[in-house]
Amino acid sequence: MNILGISAHYHDSAAALIVDGVPVAAVQEERLSRRKNDASFPLLAIEWCLEQAGIGPEALDAVVFYERPMLKFERILTCALRAFPRSWLAFPHAMKNALGEKVWMRGVISSHLGVRGNKVLFTEHHQSHAAAAFLAAPTERAAILTTDGVGEWATMTVGIGDRRERRASIRLLREVKFPHSLGLLYSTFTAYLGFEVNEGEYKVMGLASYGRPTLIDQVRKTIRRTPDGAFALELEYFDFHTTAQRSFSSRFLDLFGPARSPYEPIDLNSADGRRFADCAASVQRVLEETVVEIARRLRKETGMPDLCMGGGVALNGVANARILAEAGFERLFVPPAPGDAGCALGAALYADRIHFKNPDREVPDHPFWGPTADGLTLARLAREDHLPCDELDDSVLIERTADDLVAGHVVGWMDGALEFGPRALGHRSILAAPQSSGMRDRLNREIKYREEFRPFAPVVPIETADRYFELPPGGARLARFMSGVFPVRPEWRAKLAAITHIDGTARVQTLERSMAPRLHALLEAYGRRSGIPVLLNTSFNLAGEPIVNRAVEGYSTFRRSGIDVVVAGRTRVAKRASSATRQEESACSRNVASYNVV
Amino acid sequence: MMRVLLQPLHRWIWLDAGRRSRKLLKFAETEADGGRDLVRAAEVTRDPLLRRLLLIHARDEQRHAELLRRRGAALFSSTHSRSGYRADWLAPGERGLDDLRVEELQDGPLLAFLHLSEKSAAADFRSYRDVLGHDPPTRAVFEEILRDETYHMNYTLLQLSRLAPDRHRILLWRARLKRLWNGYLRLALAIAGLLSGMLLTLMYFSLLVPFAWLAKRAASREPTGWSRIAPERNLSLDRQY
Repeated sequence: MNILGISAHYHDSAAALIVDGVPVAAVQEERLSRRKNDASFPLLAIEWCLEQAGIGPEALDAVVFYERPMLKFERILTCALRAFPRSWLAFPHAMKNALGEKVWMRGVISSHLGVRGNKVLFTEHHQSHAAAAFLAAPTERAAILTTDGVGEWATMTVGIGDRRERRASIRLLREVKFPHSLGLLYSTFTAYLGFEVNEGEYKVMGLASYGRPTLIDQVRKTIRRTPDGAFALELEYFDFHTTAQRSFSSRFLDLFGPARSPYEPIDLNSADGRRFADCAASVQRVLEETVVEIARRLRKETGMPDLCMGGGVALNGVANARILAEAGFERLFVPPAPGDAGCALGAALYADRIHFKNPDREVPDHPFWGPTADGLTLARLAREDHLPCDELDDSVLIERTADDLVAGHVVGWMDGALEFGPRALGHRSILAAPQSSGMRDRLNREIKYREEFRPFAPVVPIETADRYFELPPGGARLARFMSGVFPVRPEWRAKLAAITHIDGTARVQTLERSMAPRLHALLEAYGRRSGIPVLLNTSFNLAGEPIVNRAVEGYSTFRRSGIDVVVAGRTRVAKRASSATRQEESACSRNVASYNVV
Repeated sequence: MMRVLLQPLHRWIWLDAGRRSRKLLKFAETEADGGRDLVRAAEVTRDPLLRRLLLIHARDEQRHAELLRRRGAALFSSTHSRSGYRADWLAPGERGLDDLRVEELQDGPLLAFLHLSEKSAAADFRSYRDVLGHDPPTRAVFEEILRDETYHMNYTLLQLSRLAPDRHRILLWRARLKRLWNGYLRLALAIAGLLSGMLLTLMYFSLLVPFAWLAKRAASREPTGWSRIAPERNLSLDRQY
C-alpha cells in the first residue's frame, strides 16, 4: 500500500511516502525549493518522494493531509468573531488567506496529483504529531504528549499508544484548546525579545542560559495552572488571538517593560540586555515547570515507563532533559522532526496503521529519508573552478578529514541521504574541532553569521558519550536526535569550550555506528589524533538559508563562507582558488569595468 | 523626465528619519532575498564562469543588505520609530528576483532579467541618493551600492552577449515586456486585494454582528483546562472538519 503524507501552508511544508508500512522518502519543501521555511504546497517534495519510490500519483492508495482544514477555518473565524470589533483589520486578511487555497485541500490535492477526491484523507493536527512521535519510536506502549502553538483547536494533547501484536492504536484522551497554548506563550516571548516567531525560539532558549529567572513571578502572572492539572493563559496579556499584528498586549509591556527592537544587538553587559536574558530565563523556567508537571501526572495516570513527545515544543531540549529527569519516565522519545514537517510522516503512518488497520511494522530508527548528495557533482564543480579536488577511498578520506579537523579547518560534510527535520544529524553538517572558544567565535563570525549567545552542539560516539557528558538513564536515547540538553562534565568543559554553553551544558548528539557509519569512523579518527572523539556539529547552511541538500548547494555554501574543506561522498575539495580561476574572474571584472552601458 | 518630476516626492519621503529607517530595513530584506535567488541561479547554471560571477554578485547583494540594515537600524535606534506610512509604492527598492522561479529560466532570460532589474534599481537608488543631502551616512550607503550596481549591470549585459550573441536584444525586449506584465499583475492584484478587503470589512460590520455576540457568549462559558476527547471524534479520516 502506497500512502503519501503532506503537511503544508503554515510553516515547514513537507511530504513523506510510506510503502507497505515503511517510510521510503520524506523531505521538507524548503530543502528542494531553497526557500527557508517554505510553507507552500510541497509539490517538489511530493514529486521527489514519488520519484524515489519509482511510482506515479496514480499508484497512491491514499494521500493524507496532516490536519483538518475546515476545523482550522472554524477556529480562525470563531476567534475573529470573539474579538469583534478589535479584529476588524485582521478579519479580511485572515479570510483571504484561508479562503484562497487553504480550506479547499481536497480539491487542491486532487488537482495537483490527479488522484480521486475519495483518496484524500485528513488526520487531526495533533493526531499527526502523536503518530509521528509514537509510531516511529522503538517502543510498544507509551504515554503520548503533544504540544505546539496550535493545530485546529488543540494546542496540547495527552494520550496513550499501543503497538502490541502488530496492531497499533493511538488514543488521545484530553486536549487543551486555543488560545491557551504553551507554544504560543513561548512564541510571544520570542516576539517580545525581538526574534522571528517560528524561527527564533532557539535563540530564546540560548539566551535563557545567560539570564537568571528573576522575572518568574511576572511570567507566572501570564499563565496559571488549572485545578485539573492543565494550564490557562491570562489573555489580557496577549494579543495573538485577536490580531495578526502583535502577539503581546500593552499589559504585557507594563509587566515586562519595553520590547526589544529586532534591529538592536543584545548587549549582555547592559541593563536592558540583562533584562532580556532574565526574561528568556524566566519563560524557559515556567515552560519547563509546566510541561514537567503535566508529564509527571501523565506518568502517574498511565503507569507507562515510556513517553513519546511531539509538536514544536518538543524541540526544547532543556525542557526535554528535565522531563526525563523529573517526570518519572524511564525513556523519552522525541522524533527527529517533531514539528509540523514531521506531521507529513505522522499522518501517513496514522492512516496506514490505524485507518487502514495494516499490521504494525518497525520504522527504521534514523532521520535520513531525503535526497542523496553526489560526490561526482562536487568533483565536477570544483574542477570547473580549478579548485584542488581529491576523490579518495573511504578510509583515506576519513583520515584526511580528521587531519583537516585537527589542523583547525572547518569541514562541510555531506554524506548520503538528507536528514528529515530541523537538525543536521551528521549527513549535512558543518564539523569543526570542539576544543577552543576561538573556533566557536570563528564559526559565528565567518560562517553562521549569528548571535554570540547561541551555542554549538557536539556529536560524540555513543560508546564514549558518558565520559564527556552527564547523561542520565535514558539520556543517550534522547540525545540520539539531539533532543536533550545535558551538562558537560566539569573536567571537560575547558577542553570542549566551543560546544560548552555558558551554563556548562551542551545539546549533545550521541551517535551509534549503525546510524551514520562514516561520521562515526571520522569521530574515532579524530579521537585518535586529538584524544577527544567529539566534534562540533552544526547544520550545513548559512544564515537565512535552508540546510543544503545536493552537492551543488554544499559547494556554493562552501564558496560563500569561511568553510575550508567540503566533502561529499568520496570527494574532498579544499579552498584554494588556482591562479587560473583568479585570472579569469579578474579579467572578466576588468572587461566589465570598461564596458560602457550606464 | 519622470524621475525629475518625482524628485519632490522622494525628497518628502526621505525627509523623515523614521520613514527612512523603515525603508532602509525593507530594502535590506529585499537585497538579502535577491542575494539568495542569485545563489540559486549560480547553483542552477551549467556555465562555470557565470556561476562564479553570480556568486560574486550574490555576495555583493548580501553586503548591500548588511549596509542597508546597519544604517536602517542606526536610524531606527535614534528615532525609536515603530510605525507609520512607508510609501513603498512611491519609492520602491530593488525588487531583486522576487517571484522569479530561477529553476525555470535558462541563463539568457535570467541575465536579461537581471540586467534590467539592476538598471532600474540603480536609477531608483540614484534618485534617492540625490535627495539625501541632509543625511550623509545614508547617502554614502547608496553611493557604495550604486558603484556595485553599475558593475552588475555591465557584467550581466556582457555575459548575456557572450551566452546568447544572436539573441541578446530579443531577450532584453522579452524581459522588458515580462517586467511590464509583472507590473500590471502587481497592480491588478493590489486592486483586487483592496476591493476584496473592502467587501470583507463591510461584511464584518454588517453581517457578523449577531454571530460575534453569540461567539462571545459561547467563549465566556467555555471551560479552561483539559477537555476530554471523545473516542469517536477521530474515527473517520474522510472529513475535513
